[in-house]
Amino acid sequence: MFKMKRLSLLLLCCLLITAASGQEKKRKKPSSPAYKEKKAREDAKFLNKQWWLGFKAGANYSKVSVEKTYSAISPTNYEFSSIAKKYKNYDLVGSQATLEVTFYFKGFSFSFQPTYQHSRFFYTNSYEWSSETDADNHVQLNFEQEQKVDHAIIPLIVKYDITGDKIRPYVQIGVYSAILINASKEVSINGIDNAAGGVNEFKDEALILGAKDLFAKNHWGLLGGAGLNYNLGNNVRLNLDVIYRYGMSNIVSTKNRYDSDRLAGVGDAMDDLTLDNLTISVGCLFPLRFLSSGFKTLDLK
Amino acid sequence: MSPVMTRKIYILILFIVGMFSSCTEESNPVYDTDNFTTIFDNNQFDASFFPIDMRQTPDGGYLILGGRKLDESDFTGIYLLKADKFGNFVKEIEVDETSVNPIAKLTAFQNKYYFFCMDPITQEAQLADVDAELGAVTITPVQGGLTYPTAASFVDDHFALLSYDNGNKESVISLISVSGGVQASKGYSIGTGEDVEEPIINHFIRTGRQFPFEVGKVSSNLYFFNGFFNYTFSLVFTDISSDDPQGVVQGQQDDGGFSAVTSLGGSKFASSRFNFGDNFVLPNENLSTTGNSSSTDLGGYSLPEMVENASVRILRATIDSKNVLIYGTDTKSKQIGLLFYEESAGTFLSSRYLGFSNPFEIANLIQTEDGGLAVCGTTYLAGRFPRICIFKLSKAKLSENLN
Repeated sequence: MFKMKRLSLLLLCCLLITAASGQEKKRKKPSSPAYKEKKAREDAKFLNKQWWLGFKAGANYSKVSVEKTYSAISPTNYEFSSIAKKYKNYDLVGSQATLEVTFYFKGFSFSFQPTYQHSRFFYTNSYEWSSETDADNHVQLNFEQEQKVDHAIIPLIVKYDITGDKIRPYVQIGVYSAILINASKEVSINGIDNAAGGVNEFKDEALILGAKDLFAKNHWGLLGGAGLNYNLGNNVRLNLDVIYRYGMSNIVSTKNRYDSDRLAGVGDAMDDLTLDNLTISVGCLFPLRFLSSGFKTLDLK
Repeated sequence: MSPVMTRKIYILILFIVGMFSSCTEESNPVYDTDNFTTIFDNNQFDASFFPIDMRQTPDGGYLILGGRKLDESDFTGIYLLKADKFGNFVKEIEVDETSVNPIAKLTAFQNKYYFFCMDPITQEAQLADVDAELGAVTITPVQGGLTYPTAASFVDDHFALLSYDNGNKESVISLISVSGGVQASKGYSIGTGEDVEEPIINHFIRTGRQFPFEVGKVSSNLYFFNGFFNYTFSLVFTDISSDDPQGVVQGQQDDGGFSAVTSLGGSKFASSRFNFGDNFVLPNENLSTTGNSSSTDLGGYSLPEMVENASVRILRATIDSKNVLIYGTDTKSKQIGLLFYEESAGTFLSSRYLGFSNPFEIANLIQTEDGGLAVCGTTYLAGRFPRICIFKLSKAKLSENLN
């Protein structure tokens, strides 16, 4: 399903590039030097202001930071650290697709980039029971839990174009709000049971369950990043965009932490977490203001 | 850039950040006390713990009276556990083996928590007390040579104790002072012969079925006990002085009887009964406190989801100003089932199920100071290690069960 979405976006980009290229071919050349000079001045003035519309999509890697640890298991004779969750950061690839609307003014851009983001993060923990008198009496359970969380990201971004050449690098900062769309968890349990008369290594079938209630409906954060725009010279910019989203609030529902009997029953409870994402996107941008009714490009370089 | 412009930009940035951050779900420590699930784990393979009763302490925490498996005895060891208001483990005490077989109820009285237990050598009843912080456990022998304590409750500043006298083969109901003195006591024959006694002894050494012994007060000078009388597991009404009971609701030897009884005032009772494995819920039933009657004639709601001869606990609770009865029981799906009934009419309201993935069994349920519900039970971690657990449900969640 998600692959289809990305394919559709790519096709849309290609169509727009083709259309824009066609417009470029129809462009009429100025007839005299005076006209050219006047036109250049007008274009330069015109270029100080522009609206851009674009699409981009790409991959993201997630990192979670634990604000407060929770567990349904409370040890009575051993340290909690031995069963604490171990998170694997920047380990699983997520994805995102973004619609971009940007207003450019004298080197600065103010950008609204609603994004559908699919994040994945992972943690493991294990429990062990053993006997002081019989070494064979030993059971170990290992839990692997993958979280898949979909958010609608609503950011406001300010960009600054470092140079105005054909390749236009920029830096950007902003703030975003994220609205939870969906979430699921995949829990895999494996272990070793020595108490059955031999070494019994087992692996249960993964448990996949909806977990939307376990996550906060909203969270927010700050973002910063950099990117490159490459002017194709035909009304179109190709865009490479790197953003680091730094979560500022808890992504876990504090009210519903223990609502999943399936998870609480095996001792799991979500920690309070903030979510960071490193996103890498590629896409294209199209101007919305044109020099003439013939959709002439604004980019001179 | 002019200072005015700079200030405007700062204000704009603050406004935008404030707007974005205002929509987030705030953490609140109250949520952590409102709802939680805790399983108290011990990493010893051979360890076995189960709860018997629970009380909330003034600091919002929980004190659990439990049992533990003993290596050198057929009896059950005493285990006490303190959890904080978030359900986190605070302290535990494994009382030494000079006292065994703790029984419900765990009673709060004058800043102390009392329960009865037994001397493993003489089988005589003992009264134990401990403070809310689980300091030292004090154990006092109960006077009068009462043996095999099976159930207790606290009424009118003294304990009602049901015990078993294996010398005279009698169920004995007594009133005991807080200092352990016997104020009144009366025994009623369970019948003659070894066969009659066998299920009782098996109950004590946990090699057989655990019977739902109970004792309490109905009204002035009228007490009841749920125990063995005249060859059957019966609900017996007595004034603790007459040689014969005032009333008996008979069961079917040890195959039928009441699994839980709570007096609602007068002759009204909320109860449940078992009969050859089947379970019946009677949330509002007039029981005859005089003469002889039979529990099998009472009918009741049959609940096939309950395990055979299920353990049942009944809690009278007030939720949203409505008096309700909450039945807690064990289901065939290995969950703890909660059944909500309106107290005045006994009409069914709703149900809720706790626990999954591993088996869960009920021990007791209490209404908490915040209007919520705490349920303690046994779960089997990794499907095999018996451990104590607490489910805490908020008042808001309980309200969902009324609507």
